[in-house]
Amino acid sequence: MTEAMPQFQLIEPSTVDEAVAALQDAPGAVLCAGGTDLVVQLRQGLSDPGTLVNLSGVAALSTVEETNKGLRVGAGVTLAEIAGMEAVANGYPAVAKAAQSVAGPSHREVATLGGNLCLDTRCVYFNQSHWWRKSNSFCLKNRGDICHVAPKGNRCRAAFSGDMAPALMVHGAEIEIAGANGVRRIALADFYHEDGAEHINLEPCEIVVAAHLPPPGPTSDYEKIRVRGSIDFPLAGVAVACNKLDDGTAQFTVAVTGTNSKPLLVELPGDLNAEEPNDAFFATLEKQVQKAVSPQRTTTIAPHYRRLSVSALTVRLAEGLL
Amino acid sequence: MNANARTSVIGRPVPLVDGVEKVTGKAQYTADLNARDASVGRILRAPVSHGNILGIDTSRAEALDGVLAVITGQDCDKTFGVIPIAMNEYPMARGKIRYRGEPVAAVVAIDADTAERALELIDIDIEELVPCYTPAESRAPEAPLLHDNKPGNLEREVHHTFGNVADGFGEADLVREEAFDCAEINHAQMEPHAALAEYDPERERLTLHSVTQVPFYVHLTLARCLDMDSSRVRVVKPYVGGGFGARTETLNFEIIASLLARKVGGKVMMQLTREESFLTHRGRPATQVRLKIGLTRSGKITAVECDVVMSGGGYAGYGLVTILYAGALLQGLYDISNIKYDGYRVYTNTPPCGAMRGHGTVDVRHSFECLLDRMARELGLDPFAVRRANLLQAPLFTSNGLMVNSYGLGECLDKVEQASGWAERKGKLGKGRGLGMACSHYVSGAAKPVHWTGEPHAVVSMKLDFDGSVTVLTGASDIGQGSTTIVAMAAAEVMSIDLGRIRVVTNDSVITPKDNGSYSSRVTFMVGNAAIEAAKALREKLINAAAELLDVEPQDVECEAETFFVKGSSQSELPFHDVAIAALAKEGTITVKGTFSTPVEAQGGKHRGGAVGSTMGFSYAAQAVEVSVDEATGQVTVEKVWAALDCGYAINPLAVEGQIEGSVWMGMGQGLCEETHYINGLPAHANLTDYRFPTIAESPPIEVQIVESIDPLGPFGAKEAGEGALSGFPPALVNAVADAVGMDVNFLPVTPDRLLAALIKFRRANRRKEATK
Repeated sequence: MTEAMPQFQLIEPSTVDEAVAALQDAPGAVLCAGGTDLVVQLRQGLSDPGTLVNLSGVAALSTVEETNKGLRVGAGVTLAEIAGMEAVANGYPAVAKAAQSVAGPSHREVATLGGNLCLDTRCVYFNQSHWWRKSNSFCLKNRGDICHVAPKGNRCRAAFSGDMAPALMVHGAEIEIAGANGVRRIALADFYHEDGAEHINLEPCEIVVAAHLPPPGPTSDYEKIRVRGSIDFPLAGVAVACNKLDDGTAQFTVAVTGTNSKPLLVELPGDLNAEEPNDAFFATLEKQVQKAVSPQRTTTIAPHYRRLSVSALTVRLAEGLL
Repeated sequence: MNANARTSVIGRPVPLVDGVEKVTGKAQYTADLNARDASVGRILRAPVSHGNILGIDTSRAEALDGVLAVITGQDCDKTFGVIPIAMNEYPMARGKIRYRGEPVAAVVAIDADTAERALELIDIDIEELVPCYTPAESRAPEAPLLHDNKPGNLEREVHHTFGNVADGFGEADLVREEAFDCAEINHAQMEPHAALAEYDPERERLTLHSVTQVPFYVHLTLARCLDMDSSRVRVVKPYVGGGFGARTETLNFEIIASLLARKVGGKVMMQLTREESFLTHRGRPATQVRLKIGLTRSGKITAVECDVVMSGGGYAGYGLVTILYAGALLQGLYDISNIKYDGYRVYTNTPPCGAMRGHGTVDVRHSFECLLDRMARELGLDPFAVRRANLLQAPLFTSNGLMVNSYGLGECLDKVEQASGWAERKGKLGKGRGLGMACSHYVSGAAKPVHWTGEPHAVVSMKLDFDGSVTVLTGASDIGQGSTTIVAMAAAEVMSIDLGRIRVVTNDSVITPKDNGSYSSRVTFMVGNAAIEAAKALREKLINAAAELLDVEPQDVECEAETFFVKGSSQSELPFHDVAIAALAKEGTITVKGTFSTPVEAQGGKHRGGAVGSTMGFSYAAQAVEVSVDEATGQVTVEKVWAALDCGYAINPLAVEGQIEGSVWMGMGQGLCEETHYINGLPAHANLTDYRFPTIAESPPIEVQIVESIDPLGPFGAKEAGEGALSGFPPALVNAVADAVGMDVNFLPVTPDRLLAALIKFRRANRRKEATK
């Protein structure tokens, strides 16, 4: 059997405003869309909110708009839909590929963009049953006061494991957030910060309503390291975008997931000039990624491996985009 | 003749007779059984790996509204365990806790929510002891003892020598020794554990429905642990969603559910979570193998020395059989005269290991096939050639007394070599792509069962009644392997009746004859033979009745396609039903039975432990695996597999193909990605996200070929088909990786992180070698 589901009140708003109001009425309420991550958490006792606000009935979240300003994808659009969208595949290949690589087909049918962007961080000490965590004196992220991954540190090291964020980030995406005071828009990269217990910048009663992609420009790609070709969360994942200029210069943007508590835009050694030997540039790129990421013992797979493999993958994607 | 009758069925692909129920969702598994009037049982599990229980206070839990009863180790002082001489486990810990997750108490309540809350209200006072997680820790001089009567925490050591090993190595042109490290794995069967227990206080009877592969052993254990006369116990096995050895012994939750049912005098449903199913474990132990082989220049094996250490977990379970199997099945595949085996089964503070598909043999076979391949390479021999240099000549007895009557390994090698394009492709696939191969074998049932009573190994009953239907009664547990279909096919074939006329009733101890259960690939061989014998007895009665109707001697009567007739004559044909009515007129409902007992000569050598590994016939397999390796990420992709299995005779080729594919696939899991992972004794892997068995994305095309060596004792010549092809996969994979990247690895599974770390080390060593040149 699966673990017992805790009791909760279910609220089903049909507009964003109603959803925000529901959050205001029930402090501590949790948003639910596809539920692919949340339901598992509820059953494991990782979340016991009392009230769930189901966003599935909010039609406005499921729209996609293509204009001369770019593409606006509603937070309620499913990953399967994103993976199948021509506008995404043509204009933002990394985004389509990331969506296609999440979990398995049945998850992607219900999992949403918003859910993936707000995906909770993951850790081998956290994503366990109540009995397991209790036997291990809980942890910093849930009911405890120590991070078992880095006991000497003072923050949670759980890893961000969403696939969509890095792919959107290399295309310069912004997200639209609705709250009691209206709507705000921020760069997706600024939505996250490096704390596994508190990794997204959402104020109380705020909801992610959409992602905005600027008009298509660079080509891009996404790949992730995982033991199996399906189901697995990324041990590390990387999105690379490449903008080729007329003079032969190639500008790269790189974002990594799975290695830190937030998706990471990697600072690069500059552009690849036409005259410069590629090998030297890529060697520097590889080192730069290795330096930027800080994988921890949050999975059963060694951190060092995740660092080495994701940097190698970055170079492979970058070379492929040239 | 009834032209539509499916009477000549053996050797033809027949969909499993219980397949429709499974694929349409109609099949009732234990958790699907009617539990409307059942209360809910839950288990409280130990929070520490090793400790003394100083006290358990259940009063707060008992006081909770909706709680019907709470039990602890104090409620059962009887040990259990599948091996009569090694029963050292209590259903709930008494005094001592030996692994994290071990049951310490149990609750029965009106619903799951209440039961869950009650678990939180049980207070345990534990004095923690130093845990031992690895054999090295357990065998250290200062290590605390898990079981007071087992010094050095050794559950069993085995020391066997056959022939003269020193002389053997003396004759060798090349001697190599290597150490291999194979991780612990779990069956991860699809259906989590569950049991439904019902106690009738008026009649003092217990009925248990459970997910077991061995209802008979469960029956005996329940009688023992509940101190009941076995006649008051009934065990029923509904549809089972996979076993693979996880359920070849009685498991603690089956006893706990029964204890709870008796305590409340009613019905208790006990459904374990996936995590709890992992905690119950019984999988393949972490195994360290040190292996030494001597070869002549032509590739003939002159001597073998093998030292095996298994990390067995907190209790005995099948442990001593596993460590004996590991040594015994070094033999029976190749011609080896001189062999020395030392095995150590060690207690550790982790969930108990047990039997898993290819029981005891897989990690040793892996090591053997890897080392043999490397030595062949060193001698400039082809991997197929070195195996051919060591083939057996059946019939024979191996030096440890194993009987080999049929042997199709040579043909398996030929088929795989040809199908894989070995000669043209091996070593020529370019950088990062490689081919590897390996051989394997497995028993068709243990010639001596663990509970030796002298009874036949298998009994099958058949009933013919007024409606012309044939009911077959068997205790053989179909766990997806197709045993029910085999029994039906054997009956149809022998009696020449339509498959649809036969209904097979299985696994209800008040109805079906006792059967030892589904393990060690015994069912087709033993139950198949018993079914043939029963069907022959029924056929004889029908022939006699037909002879009277036709006014001829019984030996002149022939039966084909549900029709009886005089040999050589097409006149006076009698349809089946008329003959059945005539036979019934003589004695009423007809019941017959058939039995199977193993011949004495099959029962192994006379040395201590010699019965383990003994069998009536071995299956043989060869397989080739093609891989590509991503040297930047360490990711191995299995591109294609070619497997050939000698199963004696394929009674149902469709099922045999499925079993070979399943074996290859499960071997692939162990080879590529499956492993348990404990953090201070807590399983970090106890879910299907972190226990990474392959998905369809990893599943390569598997080209299967069947070899039929026709075993003289097997039913229609058949041997086992469900396990033999497993243990060849991991070594074929590692040998293919060596072909692809020029590097040998001595660990399992070959996960990307391990492989990349090894590649980095390998490159560094190569650079150093270059520099010193």
